[in-house]
Amino acid sequence: MPEMSGGHVKLESLTKRFDDVAAVDDISVEIKSGEFFSLLGASGCGKTTTLRMVAGFEPPTSGKILLDGTDVGNWAPHRRNVNTVFQSYALFPFLTVAENVAFGLKYKSVPKSQRDSRVAEALEMVQLSGYETRRPNQLSGGQQQRVALARALVLRPSVLLLDEPLGALDAKLRRTLQVELGALQKQVGITFLYVTHDQEEALTMSDRLAVMNRGRIVQLGTPEEVYNEPADAFVADFLGVSNLMDAQVEPGGNVKECCHLRLGDFTLEARAGQLDATGAVKVAIRPERIHLHPYQSAGVNRLPGMVERLVFLGSTTHIYVRLATGAALQALMRNEGAGSPYSQGTPVSVDLPADAIRVLPDPGVSVAEIRDETLGDQLLDVTSSVPASS
Amino acid sequence: MASVAGESVTTSPPEPAQVTMRGRVRGNPWRRPWGMEGFTWLYIIWSIVPIAIAVLFSFNKGASQATWQGFSTKWYVGKGVTSVLHNPSLHHAVIQTIVLAGLTTLICVPIGVGFAIGIDRWRSRTSNGLNFLMIFSFVIPELLLAVALFLLVTQGLTFIRLGTPAEVAGLVVWNLSWPAIIVRARLVSIGHHYEEAAADLGASRLGAIRRVLIPMLLPAIFASAVLVFASTVDDFVIVEQVSSTSNTQPMSVLIYSNVHGGLSGPALNALATIMLVVSLIAALIGFVGYRWLSRGERTKGDVEALTAVAGI
Repeated sequence: MPEMSGGHVKLESLTKRFDDVAAVDDISVEIKSGEFFSLLGASGCGKTTTLRMVAGFEPPTSGKILLDGTDVGNWAPHRRNVNTVFQSYALFPFLTVAENVAFGLKYKSVPKSQRDSRVAEALEMVQLSGYETRRPNQLSGGQQQRVALARALVLRPSVLLLDEPLGALDAKLRRTLQVELGALQKQVGITFLYVTHDQEEALTMSDRLAVMNRGRIVQLGTPEEVYNEPADAFVADFLGVSNLMDAQVEPGGNVKECCHLRLGDFTLEARAGQLDATGAVKVAIRPERIHLHPYQSAGVNRLPGMVERLVFLGSTTHIYVRLATGAALQALMRNEGAGSPYSQGTPVSVDLPADAIRVLPDPGVSVAEIRDETLGDQLLDVTSSVPASS
Repeated sequence: MASVAGESVTTSPPEPAQVTMRGRVRGNPWRRPWGMEGFTWLYIIWSIVPIAIAVLFSFNKGASQATWQGFSTKWYVGKGVTSVLHNPSLHHAVIQTIVLAGLTTLICVPIGVGFAIGIDRWRSRTSNGLNFLMIFSFVIPELLLAVALFLLVTQGLTFIRLGTPAEVAGLVVWNLSWPAIIVRARLVSIGHHYEEAAADLGASRLGAIRRVLIPMLLPAIFASAVLVFASTVDDFVIVEQVSSTSNTQPMSVLIYSNVHGGLSGPALNALATIMLVVSLIAALIGFVGYRWLSRGERTKGDVEALTAVAGI
């Protein structure tokens, strides 16, 4: 059933400026046919503007959008063989579910006799058979999202664009639909270009993803690569909880496959990241890689600290630890039924395994500033300032 | 908006009477607002009673507009007296009013809808100026427009004859703001998403307007049509200036020119009552129709339909 008709997308030096602000700044990326590709970033990073340019709602300032080799950058949206699932779904409220799904078939050369069966097929694919005569306002948010998906998929586009399609749903439904959406993409084999600010969504569903910041792609790779080997402090902080600290590389500390660092009065060994860096660096470590031991237990890479706060999350507990250097860290401990041995104020020895410490280039800004950036700049959110603001 | 304020009041837990700075105990803040309710009723009575009396005397048996002499419908349909049905000038005024209202609505609404879409969807310096022009007609005195129109059709554009053509031209210009402003308000609340979705699914620009925008604007178009119709029925200033013979006088002009002499008596009350009923029917159709047309959406019920018909 799936038509593997291309779906190869290539963006070449794509740029979009709104007045003086570069919303998308010289992006080049190649998306393979049939790939589930995500653009991940905080609001205002340019991911939605990129998607809107591929859909045809915004003309690029410069650069090319190649769809199966043809530059469609200045084509009207209705001439492009791409379809969009909008964040707001944009289902037509005056039409029934079946009429919504059939809307675009009128413009494809689909004979009238086949339209009904195509609609039925699309609704079955999103498990909404039997809902044909309902109106959008009689459906739940999750069902509306499926209708929007069916309405786009029924046209068998070469690329499906999804603009935060799960953004308006509650957390539990979002998890279920993540799995379904991933499975559906494999089933239909259409290229998915997925825009999200939710790192969990991007990690669970994507074949590859691009992390965006300030209109640029800061890292591109598989979910494992991007999560395990973040290219810089921004990516490390944006993808999952990451502990970032300032450190100095000891003079002559770059030994083979090892880098000696100085953190205040303490020294650390690191075995991941940019081991040939010198001078000021940032170091990152994932909370799940940190181990806590009884206070003053000896070992390499163990720093004294104190438990500041415990946050119970169900399957795990987040332990906020303050190191003797002043840096704050989060450690993750699985709850195995015995209750936490720690409480507020417990002195501990914090074990930071050398192979979990990642040396990252120093971007010249403080840890707090990086954290602000990963939270996104709402004021620069171009998508919200485009419609109807006279 | 009112419901939000209402909610915040009802969800707050009632508190005991509070002692003010002066030490006086204030009453329950959730007590019935007697003062406000009383004033509201006073206002309703003040505005309705004179109309009710005028309507009542259209059913008077005698020829007096001041002394009640029993019930009769003779001023509407009676033979041998100057009734609305049998007096040619009264009879004609009713027809002229309906014709003017119908023609004005038919011409005015499509132009106004076109204006609204143009102003809102194709932004430019020109469209900003036109937007200002729409509000302009609310500000300038109607008499000024009427006199200017009279001069224009008698001195300049003489192919627009006095009488029905000039009346319709004037009423269209005067009422154009209704559809333009109401439809534009709806356009703003709809946003761009639905048109983008239509374009994304393969519709051209015009196709998106025809298949998506117009159906979504239908409640607003309908509401503005009703308003234009009702406002034309009520209009006096423009039609008085540019009507020519008695044949082109609508009800409002006829009532005005006869109330101090000439034709008088309960027949004029009957005419005014018909005018009132036509306006009320238009408003009722507007209210019911708007609710029916916007049934596919989650409406906030009567309040929204009313405000849409009222053009707020």
